[in-house]
Amino acid sequence: MAEVESISHSGICVHDLKEAEDFYCNVLGAKLHSRVNFKTQDALRGRSIHTTLTLDDYVFAVMLTEDWMVVPEPGQLRGVNRTRHSFCVPKARFPKVLEMLEAFEVPFEGPVSHPQCGPFGESIYFRDPTGNFLEVLWRRDEDVVYNIVQPLGHGGGG
Amino acid sequence: MNTAPATSIGSGIGSGIGSGNGSAVHGISHLVIEVADAQRAARFYAENLGVHGAALADWPEADELALALRSGQMLVFKSGSGGKTHQESGVHQAYRCTAGARSVIEAKLADTGIAVHRYHEDRPAEAREPFYFTDPDGNRVQLVTVPGNEPGNETGIWGIDHAAIQASDMEWEEAFFVDRLGFAVDHRVGWNTEDYVRARAWAEGHDDMAPGTRRMDHRYRDNPGAEPGSSREVPRPNIQIFLGLGGSVLGIFLATFHLQEPAPELARGTPRTALAMDRAGLKAMAAALDSAGVALDGPVIHGPGAPLAESLYFRDPCGNFFEFCVPADSRG
Repeated sequence: MAEVESISHSGICVHDLKEAEDFYCNVLGAKLHSRVNFKTQDALRGRSIHTTLTLDDYVFAVMLTEDWMVVPEPGQLRGVNRTRHSFCVPKARFPKVLEMLEAFEVPFEGPVSHPQCGPFGESIYFRDPTGNFLEVLWRRDEDVVYNIVQPLGHGGGG
Repeated sequence: MNTAPATSIGSGIGSGIGSGNGSAVHGISHLVIEVADAQRAARFYAENLGVHGAALADWPEADELALALRSGQMLVFKSGSGGKTHQESGVHQAYRCTAGARSVIEAKLADTGIAVHRYHEDRPAEAREPFYFTDPDGNRVQLVTVPGNEPGNETGIWGIDHAAIQASDMEWEEAFFVDRLGFAVDHRVGWNTEDYVRARAWAEGHDDMAPGTRRMDHRYRDNPGAEPGSSREVPRPNIQIFLGLGGSVLGIFLATFHLQEPAPELARGTPRTALAMDRAGLKAMAAALDSAGVALDGPVIHGPGAPLAESLYFRDPCGNFFEFCVPADSRG
């Protein structure tokens, strides 16, 4: 068994890099870490066009696709389309997320309450400008430490 | 060549559309392009593009030859170096003219044996009737027709529409021109999938694009499972950003090869893009550049007969030479 431990980072494919950067930074509060393929040395290496963003200790990249992807119908805010990224916030900050989505006129579904016996409290569902499904939730067990987050680095061992 | 009196920056340059200090820019004042022989270049531009008139008197640089355009802008030749325009890059100068003038110019170019290219660029404002050629020194020239925007000149170019340079780091350029100097973004290329799809059409021969707008990238490794070497090339849009400069536009194209930059201490050189502004604007720009730690040459106060009152010389983060200048009619 390989015994992989956790998600190191992920890539979210988008149709418009600038639009995606603005969405994840301005609406969700991500920070821009770096862009790739905006320098001659990247072009010479043939690297993909993407931007790396961070949300607290989570690293992800919005990656420009070379071709059009299948996008769910505009009114669909929840479902399966490749993958759904679910971000967690403390319960106290959950209303702020709703406030920001409303401020930026991002349609969302929810809050949806989850069963009391499970770890999830409430979720809201929405999509980024490309149409990727996203979710923000708070956890009932937010005070429980499941796994100490290791410093970022190869293998997570700092 | 005889010398002529100084002219002022013309009324054809629109009001600023940028924000912050960027709105201080009235437009492109002049372009300094490199040629082997300035006199020969002046003859070419006179005979083919209708840029008539004597060299401007008291031009600040003794080794440059400046000609006034009908817009009041200036085209300046620097002798001795030959054009540094790399033919595969996006670097070019674009001039405005009427459709009638363009027909006249096209006929003259045909007589001279100079080929006209009809490839096009990504910026929507340039989509109409593409027209490109290369001058005898290798500088790529574009003619842009803007109906009703030029006072009847049916024999030659009217003024400078835009200029395009290249840079090795597009993030540095945007941080410098937009965040530091307050220039407005007019258009971006290479940021969305539509650009990618069009790049593929270009690679398949269905989309005739201007040099510097597309590129074939050699991927740093093959896709897993692919035949070795079979997936090493991918067509891509080349990253571009266009900045609004009053009534003019500056295009910046990602350089697809490494270039030798001038020595770090060199703030004044060629080729050079000069932007016009008033004294207050120049002062604000000088402060913004100084706070950014940019090496400056000036402001230089020019002589009473010069077409320019003041100039401030510097380089952008990727080594392109720029000049911020105050036209002579702003001389107090």
